[in-house]
Amino acid sequence: MARTLMRFTGVGGQGVLLAGEIFAAAKIKLGGYGLKTATYTSQVRGGPTVVDITLDDEEIFYPYANDGEIDFMLSVAQKSYDLFKDGVSEGGTIVIDPYLVKPTDEDRKKWRIIEIPIIKIAKEEVGNVITQSVVALAIANTIMNAIDEEILIETMLSKVPPKVHEANKLAYSLGKKYALEALSK
Amino acid sequence: MKTREVISTGNDLAALAAVDAGCKFFGGYPITPSSEVMHTISDLLPQRGGYAIQMEDEIAGICATIGAAMSGVRALTATSGPGVSLKAENLGLAQMAEVPMVLVNVMRGGPSTGLPTRVSQGDIRQARNPSHGDYRSITLCAGNLAECYTEVVRAFNIADRFMQPVIVLTDETLGHMHGKAIIPTQEEVEKGVVPRKTFDGNPEEYRPYGVGEDEPAVLNPMFKGYRYHFTGLHHDAKGFPTEEIETCRKLIQRLEDKVMNYAEEIEYNEEFMLDDFNGEEGEVLIIAYGSVSLAAKEAIRHLRKDGVKAGLFRPITLWPSPAKRIRHFTDMVKNVLCVELNIRQYTEEVERVSGRLDLEGLYKVNGRPISPFEIVEKVKEVF
Repeated sequence: MARTLMRFTGVGGQGVLLAGEIFAAAKIKLGGYGLKTATYTSQVRGGPTVVDITLDDEEIFYPYANDGEIDFMLSVAQKSYDLFKDGVSEGGTIVIDPYLVKPTDEDRKKWRIIEIPIIKIAKEEVGNVITQSVVALAIANTIMNAIDEEILIETMLSKVPPKVHEANKLAYSLGKKYALEALSK
Repeated sequence: MKTREVISTGNDLAALAAVDAGCKFFGGYPITPSSEVMHTISDLLPQRGGYAIQMEDEIAGICATIGAAMSGVRALTATSGPGVSLKAENLGLAQMAEVPMVLVNVMRGGPSTGLPTRVSQGDIRQARNPSHGDYRSITLCAGNLAECYTEVVRAFNIADRFMQPVIVLTDETLGHMHGKAIIPTQEEVEKGVVPRKTFDGNPEEYRPYGVGEDEPAVLNPMFKGYRYHFTGLHHDAKGFPTEEIETCRKLIQRLEDKVMNYAEEIEYNEEFMLDDFNGEEGEVLIIAYGSVSLAAKEAIRHLRKDGVKAGLFRPITLWPSPAKRIRHFTDMVKNVLCVELNIRQYTEEVERVSGRLDLEGLYKVNGRPISPFEIVEKVKEVF
């Protein structure tokens, strides 16, 4: 496998960090290398947050995604989208929550933009807004085909409390469903 | 050596390392980006028979740590740049009174409150002389996740051997990055622990500072029957203040010599892709440390693919600096590039020990990491 670079962005407090940890841990379980780095501002809640995920079969030294080389970005906040979109390679995929992020027409020409109402799915269909990071995880993996799904789900469940296992399993299956629908369009 | 694979962050690994190395006390105050060291050790220490206290401020944090160390246990404090500034006076006290302890500094942008959540290597000079007066700081610098563990372990062993504070530098990138690390098992770490020297003779004859001219003090645990006086003033063999000319001179000379006469024991470097260097034209020597070395290694991979013979010299013990080894390479290689997340803080040391003023440099001070691509570009631009 060549190196996979993914970027999750949002605002502080949304829980975008967790998806990155799960990806990295799952890749390591499979015998590869995975790194997650997070960048945030001193504004703890509400500041733009970016999580870079690097997955590779070979050892990774530098833990950040190089701007211009990112294959996939997921964004659930306009200010983070605006700040970090230019890191995505031309023709790369950007998943946005259409209620929270409005891309320009130029953006749509430059990148493959996929709209999935991530927060709404978590809030209304799963019934727990915190599961948005698992919805995002499922979307990213379905589109990028980065990690064996079984291992990813197993890793995810090991990182959330048992009482919310069912909710998170549901969040994963919904994320996957929406991603597959978006891909078939 | 038996090892284990863990998935963790640099800050969590630093906390785990301390506990595995036998640390029984943490005193500190939360500060970004080091707070997780305190969070994690507050969880671990009570499970292993130790204590963690969040004090009222940074100063109290190091004072409690010094007190715990005087009772005979291994003790840790952790902070970031502004915290080191506040702790500086008491680092000086621990140097003067010869109290072994470890301070982890997870570096962020400075000066002052600077850039709290951003990476920097701006505390390299500070680590060399955090407090006034003559003494030798011992400073180790982790360059990857595994070293956030192993360097903290090494720091505790060095602190007890040399009887003084040891600083471990990491930075925001290492502290918060999350990934795989191969680290020694707890049993291996425990096997490597050499207990602090103690005096077992007649308490009346106990002279904690009455040691050989380049030896560290022998401080028995307080309140166990071996009495001595504890002070930051110049002191005699029993620790009582004195202005006697020869005693004062010998004391400060001993603080210098106890480290510098044995600096080779502390020296520790990584030489990455330098095996095939022989002084031929076109070789590029990169000198970097800490998280910047990760970008440098990635850059070297790219440069080698492009036919540029590049390699990295990475000091892991920053102070005292590995002067002879740096000199060995800077004598051999013409093209030298120093890469740092500050402005020339270690480059000046490399200039001093190499005697060269023609070193190239790549520096960044805006809180953002230096990317491998920037290093590749710089090498191609200047050499």
